[in-house]
Amino acid sequence: MAIGDEPAAGSPPPDAVTTTAGGPGGDLPEAAVRRLEADSFSSGLSVPDFAACLDLGLQPVALVQGFCVMQWGWYGPNSGTMGGMSPYIGGQQTPGAYSETYRCPHGFVSNEHRSWGQNLEQPWVEDAWAHGYHTAYGRMLEEAGTLGAHGVIGVLDRVSSVADSGTTEFHFLGTAVTVDGGPPPAGGVPWSTYLAGQRLTKSIEAGFMPIAVVAALASVRVWAYCMTEYYMEGSMGGWGNNMGPALVEQVSKAHMASRQLARKHVRAQLAGDELHGAMIDVVTRELSAGDEVIDCTLRGNRVRRFKDWDPIVLPRPTVRLS
Amino acid sequence: MSAAETGLGPTPLQDVRAEMLKGAQSLAVAAPPSQERGITSDLSVDEALLLHAAGWEPLDLVTGVAVVSVPVGVWNWGRGSISMASDAHDAAVDQASRLLRGECSKVHGHGVVGVRVEVTVNPHHIDVELVGTAVRPMGGKDSTGRGTDAALAMPFVSDLSARDFTLLQRAGWVPVGLAFGASFVYAPRRTAGTAIKQKSQNVELTNYTEAMYSARESAMEKMQRSALEAGGQGVVEVKVTEGPMRFARHAIGFTAWGTAVSLVAETHQFVEPQVVLPLDDAVVTFDAESLRSSSQGKRRKR
Repeated sequence: MAIGDEPAAGSPPPDAVTTTAGGPGGDLPEAAVRRLEADSFSSGLSVPDFAACLDLGLQPVALVQGFCVMQWGWYGPNSGTMGGMSPYIGGQQTPGAYSETYRCPHGFVSNEHRSWGQNLEQPWVEDAWAHGYHTAYGRMLEEAGTLGAHGVIGVLDRVSSVADSGTTEFHFLGTAVTVDGGPPPAGGVPWSTYLAGQRLTKSIEAGFMPIAVVAALASVRVWAYCMTEYYMEGSMGGWGNNMGPALVEQVSKAHMASRQLARKHVRAQLAGDELHGAMIDVVTRELSAGDEVIDCTLRGNRVRRFKDWDPIVLPRPTVRLS
Repeated sequence: MSAAETGLGPTPLQDVRAEMLKGAQSLAVAAPPSQERGITSDLSVDEALLLHAAGWEPLDLVTGVAVVSVPVGVWNWGRGSISMASDAHDAAVDQASRLLRGECSKVHGHGVVGVRVEVTVNPHHIDVELVGTAVRPMGGKDSTGRGTDAALAMPFVSDLSARDFTLLQRAGWVPVGLAFGASFVYAPRRTAGTAIKQKSQNVELTNYTEAMYSARESAMEKMQRSALEAGGQGVVEVKVTEGPMRFARHAIGFTAWGTAVSLVAETHQFVEPQVVLPLDDAVVTFDAESLRSSSQGKRRKR
């Protein structure tokens, strides 16, 4: 059905959740196709942002969204994904992935003694996250593309668990816009940005055109060796008298690595462009003393300079009488 | 000097529609593949614009994280200060700052602005995370009075926002580093006899007053000492946190941190802010509600 056409007799009710087999909506649900085909626009922008958007020559087309629900599988040793990988079992590390090994300074003590440990990047977790994120993002862009939009502004993204079902939902929401008299972007893929309103206007005035919202997750697993275990539980395990504070090298390095990897993954998506308004978010799940998973998410606006830099006049300080 | 140069006159408005169109047209042609290392920053649009206006540019998002152990038994009941916890805190901050500086140096930054500080005190380890944006003067010429080589060798670390950084520079000062101090202390106990004697009295608990006073002073003294060690003359934007440990309510932690600053101009430069009178101020208007009975008319709308 073309945009603007009347729905044919016998169309499914508006609340039906079915998926189109093709046509203008691709694999969009039919309810989404009907909403997008309606002869009105919708937008998630606040009134000031909406006004600023019109001022900038952007015409809101529709509220667009994309979803993807992913299952997190079992990533332990002998899992289908991870194979036999564990520092205690041995096994091939993922080529090119970060890993660092720590060896016990005590020699053989007992079977329970953690004679070696490892910091290990978990590309299978990162890939699953990236798959969910980019699939949801792609679906939002697909909705925008269906409408002939040039870009999506005021993007909101959320990663949350669905009703304790062991699944994670990736959800994107944004306002599709067209640029008055502007050409479509190369390749027909709309640009996108977390910004809207005045912030977007200022960015454009400064000479930066939004390209895409970008994000990446870096996941590092810490398999603690004996020293890390002792330090993280506050003891030396009876191995020394030095009970003063000590840098927990293995965990500190794992934290640094997670942040560096997140930046590396995001940088790989920049292709020479710039990242503005970066937001870094770290979640640490401690499994036992020293054993933990560090997940670092980095997101921001990929922008490209389209004109020479023209610095603003240094603003004059003011005192507000109120 | 023109009105635009002084910032007193109206800023010339750009045709934003034309700018937007220009931007959209630039994307209509596929960009050639680039191997350039793009800039990353966590600055807001306003901060980036201000920084540029002041002659600085962002380079890279940088982080420093350190985890330092706290030996078992440190939080058990005792008297006086908990020096091992303070030492662990200082060691974690030092190491995180060192790592942050290291990342800044790698990208040839002269300093880090807008550093977000997160300190988490756990029973057996203290975690410190610092995140900020490495910056350098446009053209690479240092304007902090230290010389480019010194700036590259020892970048400054500051938790000031780009706005505060710009204003500070305008006043003739520069940030030199993060100043930190922490003090942990056991809540003092009274003897049973004293507690019984004071039960029905309104008295000052002098042992509490003294313990808290000295712990706060100790944290601030450490902060000032670290500022002096960094070459600062003072500390601005001091933040003070305090409270009992969630896992040991009898232990109280005090932390104080801010940005150590140094005067590079001959004297302090007065910024002489312009007084503005906004016209959208709230005005008290007649409110019919106020004519009602006292129980109903207490709330007066503004």
